Amino acid sequence: MYRMFVHPTIKATHAHSLILHGYCSQPRRGFHGSSIFLKNKPAATDYGEKSEHKGGGNKSLVTHDNLFERAAQDSRTKATFNRVVDVFVKQDIRRRGHVEFIYAALKKMPEFGVERDIAVYNKILDIFPKEVFVPRNFIQRMFNHYPRQQECGVEVLEQMENYGVMPNIETKVLLVQIFGEKSHPIRKYQRLMYWFPKFKNLNPYPVPHELPQDPVDLARFSLSRIANDLDAKVTMYQMPYTDVSEAGEEVTQPYVIGIQSPDQQELLAKHDTSRPVFVEGPFTLWLRKTCVYYYVLRADPLPPEEKVKEPIDPEQCFFYPLELDLDLDRDVGDEDNFNVDEVEEGPVFAMCMAEKGDQATLAKWISGLQETNPILGRIATVFRVESGPCEIQSAAEPESAPAQESEPEPEPAEEEKPLRSQSMKQ
Amino acid sequence: MALTPMKQLATLQRGRFLTLSPTLGPVVCGSRVNFMGEYRRPGQPRDNTPPWKKIQFSFAKGVQGIRKHFGLLKDEAFKHMAGPQGQPLKEYVLEQTQVLWEFRGPESLSQWIVSSDREIGGQSEAYLKLGRNNTTCLLYGTLCSTPPRDGETRYSGYCTLRSKQPLLSFDRKQHHDWSRFNTLFLRIRGDGRPWMVNIGTETYFYHQSDDMYNYFLYTRGGPYWQDVKIPFSKFFLSSRGRIQDDQHPLWLDKVNTIGFTLGDKADGPFQLEIDFIAVCNDRAHTEEFAYEVYKRNPEV
Repeated sequence: MYRMFVHPTIKATHAHSLILHGYCSQPRRGFHGSSIFLKNKPAATDYGEKSEHKGGGNKSLVTHDNLFERAAQDSRTKATFNRVVDVFVKQDIRRRGHVEFIYAALKKMPEFGVERDIAVYNKILDIFPKEVFVPRNFIQRMFNHYPRQQECGVEVLEQMENYGVMPNIETKVLLVQIFGEKSHPIRKYQRLMYWFPKFKNLNPYPVPHELPQDPVDLARFSLSRIANDLDAKVTMYQMPYTDVSEAGEEVTQPYVIGIQSPDQQELLAKHDTSRPVFVEGPFTLWLRKTCVYYYVLRADPLPPEEKVKEPIDPEQCFFYPLELDLDLDRDVGDEDNFNVDEVEEGPVFAMCMAEKGDQATLAKWISGLQETNPILGRIATVFRVESGPCEIQSAAEPESAPAQESEPEPEPAEEEKPLRSQSMKQ
Repeated sequence: MALTPMKQLATLQRGRFLTLSPTLGPVVCGSRVNFMGEYRRPGQPRDNTPPWKKIQFSFAKGVQGIRKHFGLLKDEAFKHMAGPQGQPLKEYVLEQTQVLWEFRGPESLSQWIVSSDREIGGQSEAYLKLGRNNTTCLLYGTLCSTPPRDGETRYSGYCTLRSKQPLLSFDRKQHHDWSRFNTLFLRIRGDGRPWMVNIGTETYFYHQSDDMYNYFLYTRGGPYWQDVKIPFSKFFLSSRGRIQDDQHPLWLDKVNTIGFTLGDKADGPFQLEIDFIAVCNDRAHTEEFAYEVYKRNPEV
């Protein structure tokens, strides 16, 4: 009775299940297989045979996990994963323990790097025996036919959903063959197909799934993302290279790559030389699961008494005036501005990303910036760089960067010269 | 007895502030299954203390309560005399924008609740503080999506900031009435992670108490502020972290809470800086609801 209330929507529709017999290429259900079926096993590859030796029969979850683990010893690739699935499919014509196997396979997918591959999901769904779980009359339909298998099917779809994999028509055909037209997995499929396309391209700042492998390209991508200015120019201040010097020591040069827009250059040119500019960082930026760090060259906000309002150049636009000084009050209903105080923040002059976050590396950036912004030579530059993980790292493999820990604020003596500026202690 | 799929899926996620993960698309599920009571962690014994034992009498507390509530009542009465919601009538009728929360001092943080998956046994941390010049609200912490090892919970890793339910005197509920506006306006600065905006409204039936209206909030990252306008028509209905088949436009006359959730499964530090939260009337936006309401999805 209880289930009737839970699933009142599953109504008896015979017509749908009848259509399916067209697909019926699999052995028909309900046949009484003799023991011969079990004796003449299809040719199993070595994984299957090994598992045979270990613990008779592949019915428990442990054996399936083992199957994957044994395959993982060779290599963790899509081909290996597919081979394991093939071995399972060929082992037993009745696919005994396929639910457990599918759960094990879903768990192992990220390990094999196939969690975003629709073909692999379809292959996993293909493990289910076809036709068997399709309800054949209204009573079966009403009482949640083969709940464990349906649950497992929903689970496969949910993992697809969690990894953002869009099902395709093959998935649908498989699900219809396995569970029938109005089953829970089909419902889940329909929900995915309804919502995924709506949300797929929503992000106004899209990040590709495959980020550039080269850290310099990645830095270039992230800098142009955060700069939010199409005019901004990315400049490479130092090429990365590794070389072996004559003494046999390895000399590495970290890359320094920065971005500056013409507006920022103009701002910096107008900056009061008596006020220092600050190099701040590292700030984090997340691109999907990758975290990158950037540094900012900025100044403190001007005190209110020193602010001057720049008159707008009337020649910027010849067609209509950019400033109108009419003494008219706006009605409340026409006021579209928000009644909040501006947040006082200093202007940002440039941004950069570097392989290392120490002061010597960032000083290269500043000296590089001096070529386009000569005023920087006359302004004091203060490094407010926090030590910390200053290398590009992905969330999957967190590295600690203890090397930078030791030099949070090096003595300004050696940094003085290339900068021609005094570095102040905070 | 084997659980039905829907039922089991529902048992898997039972946190109060469940997440929809914006990057990967929210969890899609149809039926609205509700369980009685608060969230109880798997394995935790039931709290069987009788309700009268939880009452703590204290004279000082009583006096404090009376002062607070009668003070509120007085404010309410005077506000009512000034006009609807304490504004002059002309302003109330004509205004096109309204700033709801601006973070301009330590007391502005007291209207917010921070929570993370700590309460379901996870390891994420979230903190709220004022930004550098005490003029913004900075939500920061670390996200960790390792699920708790209790054998039942499968997903974890969320951090949430939620506004408190506004209360009138004698703890009566007060609702935000945003029906004159059609767009949510935020000025934020994030670190590139996608967030989710959740709006909780007053509901009539008990089984709707977990209903929330959600939409995504994408951040650009970088040192610049970002103005985000989200039309209320885009918000979709979800319950306990699952998008519902029967969608319904958000009714703006009784909004209880607004929240921001992070759950993008990228482990590591995060931060979100909010300058202010406002509503405005975008006259160019005429859409009433972005999703189909004339037919159920999937059709039965």
